[in-house]
Amino acid sequence: MTTNTNVRWDRPVWMKAWAALIVALFAVGAYLGLVWSPPDVNQGNLIRIMYAHVSVAWIGFVAVGLTAFFAALYLWRGKRRDDVLAVASAEMALLFSSLTIIGGMTYSRPTLNTFWTWDAKLTLTALMVALLVGYFIVRALVDDPVRRGRVSAVVAIVVAGSLPFNYLAAEWFRTLHPSRAIALDGSGVTMAPDMLSALLFNTVVAGLVYAWFMVDRVRLGRIEAQLEDARVAQEAVPSGKRGVVRV
Amino acid sequence: MNDLLAVWLVARKDLLQEARSKAVTVATLFFSAVTLVVIAFAIGADTRLLREAAMGALWVALAFASVISAAQSYQADLEDGAFDALLTLPVPRSAVYLGKLLANWGFMFALGLVMLPVTLVLYGAEAGPHWPWLVPTIGLGTLGFALIAVLYAGLTANLRARESLLPVLMFPVVVPILLAAVRASGSLVGLADVELATGWLLLLGGFDLVYVVLCTAMYGYVVEE
Repeated sequence: MTTNTNVRWDRPVWMKAWAALIVALFAVGAYLGLVWSPPDVNQGNLIRIMYAHVSVAWIGFVAVGLTAFFAALYLWRGKRRDDVLAVASAEMALLFSSLTIIGGMTYSRPTLNTFWTWDAKLTLTALMVALLVGYFIVRALVDDPVRRGRVSAVVAIVVAGSLPFNYLAAEWFRTLHPSRAIALDGSGVTMAPDMLSALLFNTVVAGLVYAWFMVDRVRLGRIEAQLEDARVAQEAVPSGKRGVVRV
Repeated sequence: MNDLLAVWLVARKDLLQEARSKAVTVATLFFSAVTLVVIAFAIGADTRLLREAAMGALWVALAFASVISAAQSYQADLEDGAFDALLTLPVPRSAVYLGKLLANWGFMFALGLVMLPVTLVLYGAEAGPHWPWLVPTIGLGTLGFALIAVLYAGLTANLRARESLLPVLMFPVVVPILLAAVRASGSLVGLADVELATGWLLLLGGFDLVYVVLCTAMYGYVVEE
């Protein structure tokens, strides 16, 4: 058939500019975390892992929440765009929570002298990865796009609903994690203002990375949907007259 | 048709079917007994260790049994197209869900009550003075398993690889149920501490409440067509 003209295949200029801005801000964030902020009283320079670890973890949880939000929107309105947004967010959630586990393990090896503990937040994040993998397995098994969207939306909402309970259960079960990011070193000392601003800056950068990938993933999702429609349209044409779908 | 009546009729149908075939009863009963024995072998001959692991083993056996029970309840319906007929009933889909839930929960609750003394005997544990509290613990715990199992079994019934998919999807969601149920019954049996158990029972109750609402509302999207 013919190339669909109402889709832009290349990334628009403003997205490239945004990407460049993110790289620059990321460098600033790294400077703030690695050089500008003071070392911790108890943990010394190890605290610098925290800037990358905590910011990524926060955005990862936001991403799971947004996945469920877009999933609910899809169930409500049935617009394909919401499904695309939900998948995009789920992919980012999987990436960010995997990074959180890697960050947590690098952090806990020198501070707690073990790679893995059955700590509440670490357990929760590992479960989140398992739940998100289940979401993608279900998506891969359903062929019809509408049914795939609905079924995976249900899974996404069940997943997001289970996180508070997982958190509570794991927290009561046993925890070794520094109690809260703001009371950082477990001894109850509140975070120094410089550290807090470095952490918040890094969180904003991680949020911008998330948002950029969301926008780009939606762009790709739209192209994918168009391609799927073109394929379906081509199946309808008698086999002798089929052309090639150009993308 | 009255919706509550529909819930009861669906539950009655499932239970009646089971009463006549006894397929799930035999399967889950022997499966959970074998699971208990296998876990006991894996733990070893240390009597103290066995006693402490008793409630954990019971809940693992029940979690696996709930997968079998929920998957079978759809299998029987799908085999002769009875499920499609069930969906054409002029009642909300949530009534079908609640009916299946009721049947599965009733079954799992009974299984739990049967397996509890078996576990206590096999693992040499004593129920302790607060044993009546174990009944609501088993009730709330098996309800949590049944809620997720019945929803996800409906979701996977038409998919490839459903046998392995159902536990993969279900177990990460029911981790809080497993943890809370094991802790609650463990603190009753081992420590005889009702206060500690109450906290965990509240968590179980909260989970059940949230998921009764969520699953009932979303079931229609799971089983359409």
